[in-house]
Amino acid sequence: MSNILTILVFFPALAGLLGFVIDKNSARVYGVAIATVEFILSLFLWMTFDASNPTFQFIEHFPIVKDFGISYYLGVDGISLFLVVMTTFMTLIGMISMSVKDEIKNMVITLLFLEMTMVGVFLALDAIMFYVFWELSLVPMLYIIGAWGGPLRVYASIKFFLYTFTGSLVMLVGMLIVAYSFSQATGGVWSFAITDWYALGFDMKYQIGLFLAFFIGFAIKVPMFPFHTWLPYAHGQAPTIGSVILAAVLLKMGTYGFVRFSLPMFPDASVLMILPIAIISIIMIIYTAMVAYAQEDMKQVIAYSSVSHMGIVMLGIFAMNSEGISGSVFQMLSHGIVSGALFMLVGVIYDRTHTKYMKDFGGLASIMPRYALVFGIMLMASVGLPLTIGFVGEFLVLIGFYKVSPILTILAGTSIILGAVYMLTLFKRSFFGPVTNEANKKLKDLNANELVSFIPLVAVVVWLGIYPKPVLSIIDNSVNYTLSIMEKKAMTPEAKNIIIVKNSKEAK
Amino acid sequence: MESLVYIALFAPLVSSLFAGLFAMTPKKQFVGVISSLLLFASFVASAILAYHISSTNEIIHVKLMDWIAAGNLNIPFGFLVDYVSVTMMVVVTLVSTVVHIYSNGYMDHDKSFNRFFSYLSAFVFSMLVLVMSDNFAGLFIGWEGVGVCSWLLIGFWYHKADVTRDVNPSISPSWAANEAFIMNRIADLGMLVGLFIIYWNVGSLQYDVVFKAIPNLTPIILTTAAIALFIGAMGKSAQFPLHTWLTDAMEGPTPVSALIHAATMVTAGVFLVIRANPIFSVTPEVSYFIAALGTFVAFFAASMALVNRDLKRIIAFSTLSQLGYMFAAAGLGAYWIALFHLAAHAFFKALLFLGAGNVMHGMHNELDIFKMGGLKKVMRGTYLYMGLASLALAGIFPLAGFYSKDAIIETAFNEGNLILFIILIVTAGMTAFYSFRQVFLTFHGDERYKELGIHPHEMYKYVLIAMSPLAILAVIAGWFKGWFNSFIIHLLPNYEMSEHTHHLALYITLIVSAFAFGGIILAYIKYNKGLVRSEKTENSLIYKLLINQYYIPILYEAVISKPYAELSKLAWKADTKIIDTFVDGIAKVLYVSGDKTRGMQSGNLSNYLNWMAAGAIVLLVVAILSLVAV
Repeated sequence: MSNILTILVFFPALAGLLGFVIDKNSARVYGVAIATVEFILSLFLWMTFDASNPTFQFIEHFPIVKDFGISYYLGVDGISLFLVVMTTFMTLIGMISMSVKDEIKNMVITLLFLEMTMVGVFLALDAIMFYVFWELSLVPMLYIIGAWGGPLRVYASIKFFLYTFTGSLVMLVGMLIVAYSFSQATGGVWSFAITDWYALGFDMKYQIGLFLAFFIGFAIKVPMFPFHTWLPYAHGQAPTIGSVILAAVLLKMGTYGFVRFSLPMFPDASVLMILPIAIISIIMIIYTAMVAYAQEDMKQVIAYSSVSHMGIVMLGIFAMNSEGISGSVFQMLSHGIVSGALFMLVGVIYDRTHTKYMKDFGGLASIMPRYALVFGIMLMASVGLPLTIGFVGEFLVLIGFYKVSPILTILAGTSIILGAVYMLTLFKRSFFGPVTNEANKKLKDLNANELVSFIPLVAVVVWLGIYPKPVLSIIDNSVNYTLSIMEKKAMTPEAKNIIIVKNSKEAK
Repeated sequence: MESLVYIALFAPLVSSLFAGLFAMTPKKQFVGVISSLLLFASFVASAILAYHISSTNEIIHVKLMDWIAAGNLNIPFGFLVDYVSVTMMVVVTLVSTVVHIYSNGYMDHDKSFNRFFSYLSAFVFSMLVLVMSDNFAGLFIGWEGVGVCSWLLIGFWYHKADVTRDVNPSISPSWAANEAFIMNRIADLGMLVGLFIIYWNVGSLQYDVVFKAIPNLTPIILTTAAIALFIGAMGKSAQFPLHTWLTDAMEGPTPVSALIHAATMVTAGVFLVIRANPIFSVTPEVSYFIAALGTFVAFFAASMALVNRDLKRIIAFSTLSQLGYMFAAAGLGAYWIALFHLAAHAFFKALLFLGAGNVMHGMHNELDIFKMGGLKKVMRGTYLYMGLASLALAGIFPLAGFYSKDAIIETAFNEGNLILFIILIVTAGMTAFYSFRQVFLTFHGDERYKELGIHPHEMYKYVLIAMSPLAILAVIAGWFKGWFNSFIIHLLPNYEMSEHTHHLALYITLIVSAFAFGGIILAYIKYNKGLVRSEKTENSLIYKLLINQYYIPILYEAVISKPYAELSKLAWKADTKIIDTFVDGIAKVLYVSGDKTRGMQSGNLSNYLNWMAAGAIVLLVVAILSLVAV
């Protein structure tokens, strides 16, 4: 299977096209089947992945527009591998748990297209390809929110689209400038291949400008404070499946962009930007945790908590050491699984009661014990309890960033307190206390279909909490390689000093 | 021997998972029985290990697998059975086994019987991970694990509604559970920072590596690490100012209070200081602070116990106070004495709590000692146990508390610290007073419960028998002080009294005993006959201050919880009203400017020409200006 990456990217979309001729009643089964195949393919990729090789593997590379250096270029390394696996996994779980009834066929097809764009973003090694997938991913999401969303769906979907689109246009300009500089440096040979760009050095002024251009594109997607206000609307209006994919995968594109582009291409600017980015991240962590605490709507709590957790991810990326960045990539996976699961859980209760307000609940634990158990496990993973998936990333990020700044790390560490505050409050208001709402007494606990989608999630949360090594070691290997690229490229003494490559410099 | 380590560690986990299988089904008696048996197996394995270590001096170290490895960080799942951890293992598993058996009787009418055993065993497993880990990160796993189990168990009766502080100072079980979890998390951040400091300065979190590297570390690093670790300890062991959660935690079922909030989990902080003694013994300032804070808490908590009416809260305050004693000993460098008091305290305090549970069970969940009295007639066994435990707590010869507490006070004297010495002696007197105030009000005097129409009854016989090991240990544990000393100093630094102290030891003992007896006699005079309430005392400022816990919970609410909630609401407003309005504003500006300029497309040719001319002029000006600028 030498073309496995191509298959991984385009299989869902092709199957989606076929989906138009499938009968409406079997659309869902069809979707689950395709997503299962895709998931197995991604597992196969993981199995055949050479864990000892930190660079790109399964490379497929041939030119499309030779004169401009645009090529069809796919490859996978330890950083993108698990994001792909997570994407296919969450798409599959989302598909199984989906409760949408109207236009189910269109939903399945849209999801399969979306899956193509998501996998494409993580596997593309050509900037133009990356950009195309990046922008294409907006369309299915726009459709999902706009067609299946709540009362404000049009406003929310357009806001989401225009906001992220504007950001990525700035990023596109940045990409064009990089490609132009590449042609200047090589005497007229153009290339959009990321691996070529890695070898390219920029002087400081250029680095900062380009860093900022990419930053706008990525930061809106993450979303970083103060560019985050599209997110609560999108989550508030999106159907459950939309929120799951949005939180689990789409947000990770932004942070992935930082690791894939910003760090190795602009190491000096990245080091220079540590302080501002750390401050923004800490604002994200503390401020959005507070906003989450103030929410009345369960889903909005999870939505804002997403922003808060992405703050941890951002902080780890800029730790400039393997502990922090590996932790950050791991945290992307963990947040994908956990926030996806939490949105699904909110969806479960919303489907039954058509409300998401905590005041309408209370005492759910005694009516729906299984639901409360799964929610409790995800809650604990969300607040970073050791031996759940949530701890590993958060711990590594904080320990990594401690090397950069102890004070800022302590501020960021308040995440473990504030996270517990809003999550436990949510749990207490919804699940504990007497059952105040008579109508809730008749609620049914999780059914078999829902259990099928939650059990794998719980299993992953526990498994990767107890034994993260199979995933973490592969990530760490590639992160370390990226760091070695950065170290070689770095010009300023500050950057050389702060970037720590494993084994090359003793931990001081 | 390795397999014994695994049995000791994993039997409680198996028990928890087994009971968990039945968590959502009605009560099944065999769940309780099997859980108790598994816990007993864990205890037997721990006891054999203890015997093995004491006879062969061989330390057992097992490594299961890697946990987290990234960059230069490598954390394995490693477990260490040495002198300190085996002591903790025996104490924990012994008390746990008794509490498990006890719970069979205490929880017999609870519909969540099976779930209770699942949580309780999970707690024991976490606690064992905490004490057995061979590195700081593993300790932190257990640390957080016991925190979650404590959260689950405090909030076990989660269905109760919130009430005001006047009705119930803990508001509700779920409220108390959240308070405990969040307050512990505050301290955990300190603990994490301690781990980070150690990692970046040593490059490892393994105890042996860290302790070996201490001579290479600068005093400032060691001091900050010690401070950070101690902040962690303050949360788990409920030291001031993070103490309010412990008394509120009494909302949990009483076996939980006995096991978690008296005998084991709350001593985790003391354990941490003992375990990390190589760090604390080279940071004298931090250690002195620990001793001073411990002494303060001992007195502070005892003062609140003097006036409280809630049976369980009185015992909780006394736990707090005794934790203060342990920290005082550890802070003064007498680590082994701290550990000895920890073990002795675990036995008699668990006994006291379980006795309180019997009273509660018999009194149909009434906890107000003002509504009890004369119970010794109907609850002879419980009376005996609680009296015995209270004597031990008060430090009466020859019971366990006498040996351990006396040693701590002697240590304070030996260090030449008269202030700590005097406070600790006075506190010993207060301890005796409030313990026996509670005993007399509960068991002696007029039978006030009769007015309330309660018909108290004694606990099941098998439960009383199950409690007997604790009663025996509460009596005899102190007699093994010398043996324990020779056992533990293989690992912990020995603490020896100076010649001078040695000479005066008898006098110190006499003074301490005099205070203890004084406290008991005072309580006897005031409360033996029955309850005499005086309006004047109850309206006095000092009484109000004490009964309201120095108004600290109210202060926290006014200064922390409420402002945080308000600020959060404000942040939300800012988010939607300022930031988002700004974003929408940009969109609006674009939209409106487009809308306004639409008028230009009028279709009128002369209008277009005018605009064209204007445009040409603007371009010209720009061109000239840019030429000039160049």
